[in-house]
Amino acid sequence: MTIEFFFFILINGLSEGMILFIVASGLSLVFGVLRVINFAHGSFYMIGAFLAFSLSTLLSGGFLISFLLLMLLVPPAIALLGLGLEIPLFRRIYGKEHLLQLLMTYALLLILDDVCRVIWGGAIRNVARPEILAGSIDFFGQYLPTYNVFILVMGPLIALGLWYLLHRTRAGNLIRAAVSHPDMLGALGVNVAKVMTGTFMLGCWLAGLGGVFMSALANIDLGIGMQKIIECFAVVVIGGLGSIGGALLGSLIIGVGIAFLQLPLSRLAIVFPYIVMALILIIRPWGLFGKPER
Amino acid sequence: MNLKDKNTRMLKSKSESKHRVVVIAFLISVFILPFVLNQLGRTGEFWIWVTTEMVIMALFATSLNLILGFGGMVSFGHAAFFGVGAYTVALLMKKAGAPLGLALVAAPCVAAVAAAIIGWFCVRLIGLYFAILTLTFGQLLYMLAFQWYTFTGGDDGIHGIPKPAFLGPVNYYLLCLIIFLVCLLVMRMIVNSSFGLSIRITRENPERAKFIGINVRRYQLINFVIAGFFAGLAGGLFTELNRFAQTEFLHWSKSGDAIFACLVGGMYSFIGPAIGSSVLIFLHIFIQQIHQSLVEIWAIFLGLILLGVVLFAPEGLVGLYDKIFKKSRAS
Repeated sequence: MTIEFFFFILINGLSEGMILFIVASGLSLVFGVLRVINFAHGSFYMIGAFLAFSLSTLLSGGFLISFLLLMLLVPPAIALLGLGLEIPLFRRIYGKEHLLQLLMTYALLLILDDVCRVIWGGAIRNVARPEILAGSIDFFGQYLPTYNVFILVMGPLIALGLWYLLHRTRAGNLIRAAVSHPDMLGALGVNVAKVMTGTFMLGCWLAGLGGVFMSALANIDLGIGMQKIIECFAVVVIGGLGSIGGALLGSLIIGVGIAFLQLPLSRLAIVFPYIVMALILIIRPWGLFGKPER
Repeated sequence: MNLKDKNTRMLKSKSESKHRVVVIAFLISVFILPFVLNQLGRTGEFWIWVTTEMVIMALFATSLNLILGFGGMVSFGHAAFFGVGAYTVALLMKKAGAPLGLALVAAPCVAAVAAAIIGWFCVRLIGLYFAILTLTFGQLLYMLAFQWYTFTGGDDGIHGIPKPAFLGPVNYYLLCLIIFLVCLLVMRMIVNSSFGLSIRITRENPERAKFIGINVRRYQLINFVIAGFFAGLAGGLFTELNRFAQTEFLHWSKSGDAIFACLVGGMYSFIGPAIGSSVLIFLHIFIQQIHQSLVEIWAIFLGLILLGVVLFAPEGLVGLYDKIFKKSRAS
C-alpha cells in the first residue's frame, strides 16, 4: 500500500466516521435523557439526506451559499419533524416497558422508511458539492479531497459545540441534570417534559445535519437509514450509551475500520460493525466509556 | 399482570365447558377448511397455501413468545433460528438427499444447538443490551448465509427442494397443522410447568428469583434453547412449503415480524401470538387483494397498526377481547 493510498483511505474513513459521530451522538444524547433507544433515528438521518437532495435541486448548485443554506435549513426541519413525533407519540411511552418503547420506535422506522420510498423512490441520488469544496488541497504533498477535509473540520467543531452546549450553558446543565436526576430536576420546578422534547429535537437536528453532510459525500438511497442505525448501535455500544466522548471514539473506530477493510475484504467490511458490537457486548457490555448499570 | 393471571386461572373452571366447545369447534373447522378450499380451484389452492403459512408462522411467533412474553426478554435475533432450521432442511434435502422426515427432525435440533451457543452469550445481558446482542448474532448469521456462496447459495438462496409425491397442498397443510397443534400442547405444558412459572418469576422480578434459589441465567438459557428449537421447526416447515430457503429468513426484519405478531395478538397470553400472526398475514393478503399497489406501502399500515397497539392496547387483541367481553370478571 503506497502512502498516498493509505492517506486516501484514512481520510475517507475519518470523514465517514465524523458523519457517523454526528448522527450517533444524537442517538446517544436522546437515550441519555429519554432512556429510549430510537430505532427511527436512522430514518431521520435518511430523511435529512433526501431533503437536502430535494432542496439542492431547487437551489442553483455549485455555490457554497446553497450548500450552507442546506446546512441551515434541513437540520431544523428534521428537528421540527422530531417535535411533531415526540409530543404525540414519545411522551406517552416514557417510563414504560423497554419492549413497548423499542417497538414504537421500530413502528416509526417502518412508517418513515416507507414514506421516504413513496416520496423519493428507489433511485440513487447525491448532492453536487459546491465548487469551492469540490477540488482537492495540497497537504504536505498529499492531495486530499477538499470536501472530506471540510467534514473533518466540521466533525470536531460539532463535538466541541456539543461539549460547550452541555457543559457551559444553562440548557446543557438542564440536559445533564435530566440524565442523572430527572426527579430532582422536576422537584426544582423545571419542566422536565420540555427538556426532554428539546433534547429529542437536538438529537433529530444532529441526525439531519449528518444527512446533509452525507448527501454530498457519497450516494444516498433507501438503504442508508437502516445501515446507519446499525452503525450507530455499534458506536453507542463501543462508547457506552449516553457518552458523547465514547461516541466520538466509537465512530472513528467504525468509520476507519470499515474504510480499511473495504479494499482487501469488502465482505468483511459489512460484517465489521457487527463483530465489534458482539465482542464489546460480550467482554464489556457497558462500553468502553460507560459505567455498568448494576 | 400477576393478579390477572391468577384471576383467569381461577375463572377457568367456571368457563371451562363453554371454552372447550369453542376450541373443539375451531379445531374441527381448521381440519375441514382445506377440503372446502380444495373445491374452489385456483383461488382455493392459493388460500390453502396462505393458511399453511399462517399455521407455520403461528408456530414461529408462539416460540418467540416463550422468550418475549413469558421470559420478558426482547430478542431481535429469533429469525436466526428460523433461518437455521430452514437452511438445515434445504441443505439436507437438496445436497444430501435426506428424506423430509429426517430433515424435519434435524431442523429443530440444529436450531436448538445454535440457540444454545448464541444464548449462552446473550443471557448474560439484560434489557436493551440483550436485544442488541441477539440482533447482532442474528445479523452475523445472515451475513454468513449471504456471503458463503458455495454452501448456502448466497443471496440466490437454495431452490428446488424436493417435495414427496404424497404431500399435496392439502396434505402438507394437515401435516403442518398437526405438528403445530402438538408443539402448541408441548409449549403449553412447558409454560404451565414449574419451569414455566419460574421463567415468569425471572421476568417479574429477577432479583427475587435469585433469592429463592433460581439460577436465572440457566433458566433463561434453557428457555432460549426451547424457543430456538420450535423456531427451527417452523423454519424447516416453511422451507418445505416454499421449496426454497433464502437469506431473508435470517434477517432481523423476520424477527421483527414475529415480535409484531406477539404484540398484536397479545404477548401475555399463550395463544395471542398465533392469533396476531394469522391476523397480520391475513391483513397483508387482504390489502394485496384490494389493490396491488397497496402492498408497496404495507410497512406504513403495519407501522400504524403497531403504533395503535403500543399506545392504546399494549396487551394486544387478546387483551382487548378480555377488556370488552370479560369486564365484569376482571374486577
